[in-house]
Amino acid sequence: MSKPVTALPRRRFLQASGSTMLAAAIGAPMILTSKTSRAAGRLVVVSWGGNYRVGVEEALAKPFAKEFGVEVILIDTPDLAKVKAQVMTKNVEWDVFDVVGPMGFTGSKNGYWEQLDPALFDSKDLIAPVTKDMVPFYGFTGGFCYDSKKHPEAPKTWADFWDVKKFPGRRALRNRASETLEVALLADGVPADKMYPLDIERAFKALDRLKPHVGKWVDQTPQTVSLVQTGEIDYSYTYTTRVKAAQEAGQTIDFAFDENLIGLEYLAVLKGAPNKTNAMKFLQFAMRPENQAALMNHLANTPASKKALEMVKPDVRKWMSNPGNPKHVVSNDMWWADHYDDVSRRFKEWALT
Amino acid sequence: MTQKKDALLYVGPATLFLFLVILVPLGFVAWTSLHTGDSWSFAAYTQLFESVLFRRTLWTTFEISILASLGSLLLGYPVALHLARVSARKRAIYMVLVLIPFWTSILVKSFAFTVLLGRSGMVNTFLSWLAGSPVEVPMLFNRLGVMVGMTNYLVPFVVFPVLASLLAIDRSLYQAAEIMGAKPPRIFFRITLPLSLPGVAAAVLSTTVMSMGFFVIPALLGGRQDVMLSNLVDFYTRETLDWNMASAIGVILLGIVTIAALGVDRLQKFGARPRTAAV
Repeated sequence: MSKPVTALPRRRFLQASGSTMLAAAIGAPMILTSKTSRAAGRLVVVSWGGNYRVGVEEALAKPFAKEFGVEVILIDTPDLAKVKAQVMTKNVEWDVFDVVGPMGFTGSKNGYWEQLDPALFDSKDLIAPVTKDMVPFYGFTGGFCYDSKKHPEAPKTWADFWDVKKFPGRRALRNRASETLEVALLADGVPADKMYPLDIERAFKALDRLKPHVGKWVDQTPQTVSLVQTGEIDYSYTYTTRVKAAQEAGQTIDFAFDENLIGLEYLAVLKGAPNKTNAMKFLQFAMRPENQAALMNHLANTPASKKALEMVKPDVRKWMSNPGNPKHVVSNDMWWADHYDDVSRRFKEWALT
Repeated sequence: MTQKKDALLYVGPATLFLFLVILVPLGFVAWTSLHTGDSWSFAAYTQLFESVLFRRTLWTTFEISILASLGSLLLGYPVALHLARVSARKRAIYMVLVLIPFWTSILVKSFAFTVLLGRSGMVNTFLSWLAGSPVEVPMLFNRLGVMVGMTNYLVPFVVFPVLASLLAIDRSLYQAAEIMGAKPPRIFFRITLPLSLPGVAAAVLSTTVMSMGFFVIPALLGGRQDVMLSNLVDFYTRETLDWNMASAIGVILLGIVTIAALGVDRLQKFGARPRTAAV
């Protein structure tokens, strides 16, 4: 240290300063983000965009912020790949994650979620059990839609959907195995209560029959309804919430309520979430019956809380399916968690041939 | 020596930046493709080449990319030719027409195409009106839909390089040819076309390479058989969370593109030699 700084060989100085800057450049974003998100009174909730976001904001985020003095930041589109990246690099920025069943259980298997204290929730009030790291949020209803002006004599069941002689026209199904295999088995006569474990061979055989009549295998959910609106497709797999929005926009789109597939949406807290305490409070808050009802007034899905069902506005309630109806299939996410990868790959291969 | 130092000063920051944002993540991707669990292995690669899904998708990707590239060349070359012939002022105005679609979001354009090409879309309605009877040409959710969407996107990428090489041709060559009595077709095939080949090669290379990574268009306008490698990467990354496989596909894709680029570079150098001698 007795040497003056100017005596430092220039190259060494450049090397040293360069590597410091390099380290700073790599490290800075992580330090900055974790510092800001760890500030007291914040919560980052990942949820879906569009109307859905408005619902979550009005029914949950704003009242939660008011009650607990916590600023809630909503982020669109839950992406499990991003969760994996965050947990893997130990650079977690999200707290609460709004997740579809199969995705949620995959995350659970990989250890992406914090353990939940079951005492936080009224388990007797819920339509599905609380798992070790996820709480059921609501049920969404899958079925098919059609233009009622174009098809006044519409198919009612999945067997009708498969009956191209009686109901000619083009079909659309989802470009993925989950949901699609279930409706194929319903069409093939498998009763709803004997659905799981799925008879995969039988499902693919049933799909083989319909394959030539499927005009589009849909990746993007909005297309499930927009293709029917533009007359491209006659009968399309979709969800009640989408049909409700289309009807409210003045479209003549109808939904078949006889045989539905009910999928569960869950809430989870990311492992190592920076605002874990607030996140747990938020989960508990979201599951209170009155809040569930307020949210479902926006989303028109089936609340996970049974008590909430009666509090929902009557004109919204007509869009909700009853998970207790024996004709409806409630998606078995545990089964899918174990088989998702293999069956999905097979489905993709099947679609290409 | 000072020149070298100067060069380092100018090029250094950009090089360092590129190193950080490209090479480091690329290294990570390569590492992920070779690292299963706790050990090194080629398992992902062997698994991929045994997989029907991958082999078919690879083939489809080649097919679509090459077709889309050639289609764009056929559509873009005449445009460039016309632009090269008009006055500089007119060219500037026409250029805007090429640039507007180029600046429009690919997602917006894809959704617009579903309205245009649909069963009862504008094109079919027009065809029905022409024919006097209902016409339903299937143009959506098949290869044709993908081609229309992709060429629409790629045409500007053909126009720019081809125009550049057309403008670089010495005017006196045309005059000389005319004086010698050459007719327009002969002038085109003996002068214009050969001298524009470097631009054509650049256009074909960049459009093919770009097509290989297409994602939105095949997903929105394609049918079940129009799955490209990027869609497969998405499937492995986000649906099955198998980053090992996704990375391996990424590395293979990069390899193919690199080989193609090197090949075209060679071709260009080889083609350039006799031409300079002739001129």
